Amino acid sequence: MAIDVARIEEVDHSIPARTPGERGRRVLTYAILLTISALFFVPFLWTISTSLKTLPETTGFDLLPNNPSLRAYREVLTEFDFLRYAANSFFLAGMITLANVLLCSIGGYAFARLKFPGREVLFMLVLATLMIPDQLRLVPVFVMLSGWGLVGSFKGYMLIKLVLATNLFFMRQYFLTIPRDFEEAAKLDNAGHFKTFWKVMLPLTGPALAAITILTFQGIWNEFFWPLILLGFGSPDHYTVQLGIAQFSFQYQTLWPQLMAASVIAILPIVVIFLFFQRYFVAGVVASGVKG
Amino acid sequence: VAVTAKRQTLGSARIREALVGYGFIAVPMGIFLVFFIYPLLYSLYISRYDWGVFGKIEPLGWENYRELWHDEIFWRAIKTTLKYTVVVVPLEMALALSLAVIVNAGIRGKSFFRSAFYFPSLASSAAITAIAIYILSADGLLNAIIGGNRSWFGDSDTALWSIAGLNAWTTSGTMMLFYLAALQAIPTDVYEAAAMDGAKTWRTFWKITFPLLKPGHFFVSVVAVIGALQVFDQAFLVSNGSGGPNYSTLTVVLYLYRTAIADVRFGYAAAIGIALFVLIFTLTLIQRLLFGKAETA
Repeated sequence: MAIDVARIEEVDHSIPARTPGERGRRVLTYAILLTISALFFVPFLWTISTSLKTLPETTGFDLLPNNPSLRAYREVLTEFDFLRYAANSFFLAGMITLANVLLCSIGGYAFARLKFPGREVLFMLVLATLMIPDQLRLVPVFVMLSGWGLVGSFKGYMLIKLVLATNLFFMRQYFLTIPRDFEEAAKLDNAGHFKTFWKVMLPLTGPALAAITILTFQGIWNEFFWPLILLGFGSPDHYTVQLGIAQFSFQYQTLWPQLMAASVIAILPIVVIFLFFQRYFVAGVVASGVKG
Repeated sequence: VAVTAKRQTLGSARIREALVGYGFIAVPMGIFLVFFIYPLLYSLYISRYDWGVFGKIEPLGWENYRELWHDEIFWRAIKTTLKYTVVVVPLEMALALSLAVIVNAGIRGKSFFRSAFYFPSLASSAAITAIAIYILSADGLLNAIIGGNRSWFGDSDTALWSIAGLNAWTTSGTMMLFYLAALQAIPTDVYEAAAMDGAKTWRTFWKITFPLLKPGHFFVSVVAVIGALQVFDQAFLVSNGSGGPNYSTLTVVLYLYRTAIADVRFGYAAAIGIALFVLIFTLTLIQRLLFGKAETA
């Protein structure tokens, strides 16, 4: 505690003396900032508060519940099957992220470093896929996958998400920034291309791998459109958390504590990841420039 | 002899490198061809048929497109989507730019505020829409604060604008990050020169920062417009998938979805998809022309 105070005082001294006007403006700036932050958080605080209330209590507007209880959480997890939905979401997000990390790093390496005829044309093709809106693909992809019997199962959804063009692009760009000296050494050792990639290059891409891991996991965990189309009409056993929320809100619209508990369950894992890996979020979002 | 032998090993090394390269990209390229490039052509093909749940029924030529041209609900959906876009894009950009400028203004606790403003962008559309439905319901928090009793998503006058407000709020964090990156790309000596001239903060912003942010404006507006034209999740969730009340939240993508999945008219839905693609493509081109080619690089 003492240390903190000392530091704050030190910082204060380092700032040159200000006129009262400037000081006033500074106070005002912080007041505005804190107000906006509060506005950004109020809906979430309200959500958490409601999730801890009983249904009759939701007719009042106290921020703090009278008898906070986790009953709503227990109910949505068991009676309303959200434990299964969460497990499904974890499985899908985990597998798809793993596939993307492997396939996009190895593909990105090839596009950045290996020479083969048609490389540039093929890379342009990868970039061109970013221009094709998902909605245009709804009908053909649905028709194809249902022809193969893959609608309503995890396989179809995983297949179309196996490689995301933004991740491949991101990894290629990252490999391009690595100096060539590292590979020259490997070449002298007569290492094969895969060994060079695996032993020398991949370990150098830590921050990029972290960024695509986090953004892919978040993207799949949060996705609504494709799970709705490919999993929404099969058995509820294959629902993701997001589909579960949609279904719950359509069916039991005013069971607010349970709906809010389900929303907290849907948001919490991503918030935890964000708290631990914030800088990768920011770097990833800015660099890939694409988020649904 | 030694030279030719060396050349041969060089040649075979090159061939090997090429083969390894193709091997490394084989799976990604396969996925892109099957699930991106081919569907583009396949949807053109499907759009020329009456196509039901068991496949082709009969060839229609351009009949689906002709029907689309005279489809009142389709035009209504286009109008709804454009109305939404025109409102939500400037709202998102203004909010994102304000947040970015505030966070960038040399304040203490910068990373805290950046995280706070980014926070809503983390939540899934389904969860955040459920929260919005709750807060904007007839007996929800918003009405308790302002003393009204309107069901914001249940009233055809306010449903679409409520979605616009919701999405402006949730996307502003991401857009703020884009603007922050653009702000930090402006060289500091520009500001030093302005400070020497004694320019006031407000004036510096409008005369110097705002115009220098042109690449940022371009990028953010393209992302925002594409996102707005494709709006679906929130419209689906607030209307139980119907696009109601009274078609007020029936966006183009929701209409496409309903045509394909609820009505099982795949041919007609494919035609809607292609119309949407053309619309997005045209608007992106127009934006590119508006902002000038040099700014996009």
